[in-house]
Amino acid sequence: MSDKILTRDQDCWRGCFSAMASPCEVLMEVDSEKLAAQVLDAVASEAARIEAKFSRYRDDNIIHTINTAAGKTVEVDDETARLIDFADQLFQMSDGLFDITSGVLRQLWRFDGSDRIPDKSAVNTMLDQVGWQKVEWKDNQIRLDRGMEIDLGGIGKEYAVDRCIQQVSELTDQSVLVNFGGDLASSCQRRDGKFWSVGRLITGKDQAVAMFQLVKGAIATSGDANRYLLKNSIRYSHVLNPKTGWPIADAPHTVSVAAKTCTEAGMFSTLAMLQGSQANEFLRLQGVEHWVD
Amino acid sequence: MQLKNIKAQMTLATCTLLQIAAPSAQAEENEWDIDTAILFYNEGDSRVSAIEPAIYAGRELGDDQRIDLRLVVDVLTGATPNGAHPAPVAQTFTTPSGKDSYTVDPGDNPIDDTFRDTRVAFGADWEIGLDRLSRLTLGGNLSNEYDYQSLGLSATYARDFNDRNTTLSAAVGLSSDTIEAEGGIPSELLPMVVEGGSMNREGADEDKTITDFMIGITQVISRNTIMQLNLSLGTTDGYQNDPFKIVTVVDPATGLPATGAASAFFDTSTTGNLPYVYERRPDTRDRTVLYFKTVHHLDEDVINFSYRFYDDDWEITSHTFDLRYRYELKDSYLQPHIRFYAQDAAEFYTHNLQLGTDVDPTSGAVSANYASNDYRLAESETLTLGLKYGIPLGNDSELSFRGEFISQTVDDGSVPAGEETPDLDAIILQVNYSLVW
Repeated sequence: MSDKILTRDQDCWRGCFSAMASPCEVLMEVDSEKLAAQVLDAVASEAARIEAKFSRYRDDNIIHTINTAAGKTVEVDDETARLIDFADQLFQMSDGLFDITSGVLRQLWRFDGSDRIPDKSAVNTMLDQVGWQKVEWKDNQIRLDRGMEIDLGGIGKEYAVDRCIQQVSELTDQSVLVNFGGDLASSCQRRDGKFWSVGRLITGKDQAVAMFQLVKGAIATSGDANRYLLKNSIRYSHVLNPKTGWPIADAPHTVSVAAKTCTEAGMFSTLAMLQGSQANEFLRLQGVEHWVD
Repeated sequence: MQLKNIKAQMTLATCTLLQIAAPSAQAEENEWDIDTAILFYNEGDSRVSAIEPAIYAGRELGDDQRIDLRLVVDVLTGATPNGAHPAPVAQTFTTPSGKDSYTVDPGDNPIDDTFRDTRVAFGADWEIGLDRLSRLTLGGNLSNEYDYQSLGLSATYARDFNDRNTTLSAAVGLSSDTIEAEGGIPSELLPMVVEGGSMNREGADEDKTITDFMIGITQVISRNTIMQLNLSLGTTDGYQNDPFKIVTVVDPATGLPATGAASAFFDTSTTGNLPYVYERRPDTRDRTVLYFKTVHHLDEDVINFSYRFYDDDWEITSHTFDLRYRYELKDSYLQPHIRFYAQDAAEFYTHNLQLGTDVDPTSGAVSANYASNDYRLAESETLTLGLKYGIPLGNDSELSFRGEFISQTVDDGSVPAGEETPDLDAIILQVNYSLVW
């Protein structure tokens, strides 16, 4: 866990640390510094716990065990099972566009702003290792074919925000905003009808282009900030279609969605990206508040 | 992927992941909960009968707010006891307007059949979530009938503790009521006079103020049981008589309503005074109410029990026991109901006033400060037996039927045979339809 910094802002306490490859910020409308430090501790340790447990970049957690089981069945704990169940439901809801087995495609696609487009036949070969429908998943038991991998990174950060909010609510009735790299939620409404102001970053701009004024609930943002390929004037977004192995065409740069929980907001913004040019229409159909750029 | 609305699925999946309660569809979509009912009440023996249509509507307003509205109309017809007791002679009374009279046969309970009224009551409650654990409810009530208006306001603060297993609440209520008696307010403890005479009335209206304070606790005892205890203290200040209720003045020599033979004052042919005086009650009434309620869920059925203790400085103490058992049938439910109510008499409740001891035969002056023979202030017991049958119709709507039989016995104490207050039997029939709209 990185160092935590607690400072006093105009009308709240501000805690900062870094986790899940993102800057993390906690704004707290609490009176005492002691309570602010407690809240910050709780948030930072919950974020660290979730990162350690579900990161695919570690070799000491359940994801590593599943991904290296080489065709064997692995039994998972309840929390992992709930996340996998959730991913399973998203796969169904998105008709297969949201797929936690699609991560292996990143071995071919490196979205570093360069023009290195992978070879078509290599992508087709790699698709053999993609497809949630091929995974056996039942009663906390999961079995992947050799070579397949799962990655819960598409859910983890939003899930962590909501879990942290739950922990915060145990500590205080006062309003706390948890913001993990643009995915954010507040524990309850602020005093005196105030709201939390949060800058909205969009791709290609260093500064916030707009401010969100959050009264309550959550906002999540998906974007391809600096993660794309450019070849022959075609911009390839980092959002891959697991069915074709190729980037989704005309995906928006940035999609933000507001919902009651950060997880729900985040999944709608992710699914909207997967709709490409139909992102706006998809979100209008859901009746959720959204911003597409 | 075909574009489709997956909002409800997504919310449910997210709530499952986060192990939080999924919001109910109706709260989410901001719909009205509507409850409509029509109630018939009949006391039999050509006494009061009422038809009472009612409609309740409530909805979430978003931002932790909710509004509930009520409209009730009472259409009352029939006759109500005037306070005099039965006598072995015919008794003649003047109507409230003072322009007419009615005669009651020997042995009959004196009732005034000019009683007819329509009451319209409107109420609204506005609940405001203050933060995650506390809320404020502001309420208003307005009711209007031919001779009575009431305006009430209330505020309730409730806060949850202990993982929301405990709720403490505090409330204050204030009501201002005005009565406008037909023909003017009868002068307390002065006699009713023959029709067309000088009426013994003073002023057109009177009012009273009702103030109540309540503190309460609701406690979740277990997954199946919840209990509630409320204590309220209240006071009513102002005019509390039932303006046209009278008390018979009896000549102890004959046991009959006083006549000119024993009292010059009650010689109707010369003074116009009838042997009945208008009642008088104290103008303050302080009360303490303790209310306990518990709801216990069995596997399918539900038991609902409450007890209410009431005590006031008119020396009325009452106890109410209420038990309901909801018995689940396959696609409907039956709910038997039993209620028992018992009260003591008010300190100033009297069967009649005796000429000589209570009333001066010459001046007609009444020595007691207060007197009333209103059967509602007498010692009494009431048993209610009821049955409700409800049919849930899907989509959050329900149709239910309720029937209740009410039997009241009044204990007059030792009174001459034939003068007892008759028992009261009444029935209630209600049809109720609730829906989400």
